[in-house]
Amino acid sequence: MREPPTWRLPPVWVLLVAVVLIVCAEVGGASMSRFKIELTRWARGTMLTHPAVHGLVGVRDVDERILDEALVKFDAGLRLFHMHAEGMGLVIIATTTVAATLVRTAPARPLIISLLTVGGTCYPLGYLLWAALIPYVGLERGKAIAEWLVWIPFGGATIVALWWLAGVVALRLVRR
Amino acid sequence: MLPQAARNDKSAARCYHLATSAPGGNPIELRRPPLAIVLVAVLVMALGETGGAALSQLRPSIDRYATARVNANPEAHGISGSAEYDDEVRSRAVYSAEAGLSFFHTHAEGLGLILFFTSTLVASVVAGRRVRAALYVVLTAGSLFPLGYLVYGAGVLELGREAGIELAERWVLMPLGSAAIAGLTALAVCLAARARAASRPSPP
Repeated sequence: MREPPTWRLPPVWVLLVAVVLIVCAEVGGASMSRFKIELTRWARGTMLTHPAVHGLVGVRDVDERILDEALVKFDAGLRLFHMHAEGMGLVIIATTTVAATLVRTAPARPLIISLLTVGGTCYPLGYLLWAALIPYVGLERGKAIAEWLVWIPFGGATIVALWWLAGVVALRLVRR
Repeated sequence: MLPQAARNDKSAARCYHLATSAPGGNPIELRRPPLAIVLVAVLVMALGETGGAALSQLRPSIDRYATARVNANPEAHGISGSAEYDDEVRSRAVYSAEAGLSFFHTHAEGLGLILFFTSTLVASVVAGRRVRAALYVVLTAGSLFPLGYLVYGAGVLELGREAGIELAERWVLMPLGSAAIAGLTALAVCLAARARAASRPSPP
C-alpha cells in the first residue's frame, strides 16, 4: 500500500526567521500599546523640529490639524507593521513548507524559499520604516521612500514567488 | 547482536524522537492534503497578496474606474443631477468598492492560511476517508469566502450600494462563510472525538 504523503519541513533558518518575525510583531503590538504616549510625544516633538517638512505655519488651528493627521498615519504605520508581520510570519511557514515538499527541482526550490522568506520578512519592515520616517520627511516622502526601498522590491518578491509556487503545484496536479 | 523485533528499522534518533516528542499522546506525522487543496490555498494567498499590492499601487486608477462605473450607472446609484448630493453618492460608492478590495486582501491572506493548516489537520488526524473528503470540500469552499468581497466591490459599482452589498452577502459571503464555519466546527468535533477516544483506557 502507498504511504500517505507527508509535509517536509523547510530549512530551519527559514522557520527561525518566521518565528522571529512573529515575535517582533507581538513585541511591536505590545509596545504600541504600552508606549503609546511616549511614541506620540516623540513623533510630535520631532515634527515640531521640522516645521517646513510638514507645512507648519505657526497658526495653532492649522498646525494642530496637520500634526493630528501625521500622527494618525504614524500610528497606522506601526499598526500595519504589527498586523503584516504576524500574517507574513505564518505565510512564510505555510508557503515554504509547500515549496520544500512539492518543488522538486534543485535551483527552483531554494530560490522560491529564499524569495518567500526574504520578501515576507522585509515587507512588513517597510511599515516600520514609513512610521519612523513620517516625523522627519513628512507623509508623502516617507511613503515614497518606504515604497521604493521596501514595499515594491520585497512585496514584489513575495508575489512573484507565490505565483511561481502556484504554477508549480498546478503543473504537478496536471501531470499526475 | 541482540534479537530485533519485526520492522525495527528506525534509527536511534528517530526512536528517541518518537518516544519523547508527544508525552501522553501518539506521535503523528503531519500529512499533506491533496494537491488540489494545496493549490487552492496557495492561489488564495497569492490573490490576496496581489490584491493588496494593486490596492496600494493602483489606487488612483481604481478611484477613476470606480467613479466612471458610478457615472455609467446613474439610475442604480440614484444620481439626481444635484452636484453636491451626487458627489456624496459617488464618494460613498467608491469608498465601498475600495473597502471590498481591502477586505478581499485581508480575508484572502487569512483564509488561505486557514485552509493550509486545517486541511493538514484533516489529513493527519481524521481517519474516515469519506469524512475527510467531506471536510476537504467544505473547508475549500469556505476558503473562497474572500471572493465575495470582490463581488461586493463590483456589485456596489454596477448595481448601487445597497443592491450590490445585498447580492454579495446573500449569494457569496453568507454561503461560503457558512461553509467555513461548518467545516471548522466539524473539524473541532472530529478532534474532540479523537481526544475522547485517546483518553479511554485501552483494554488489557
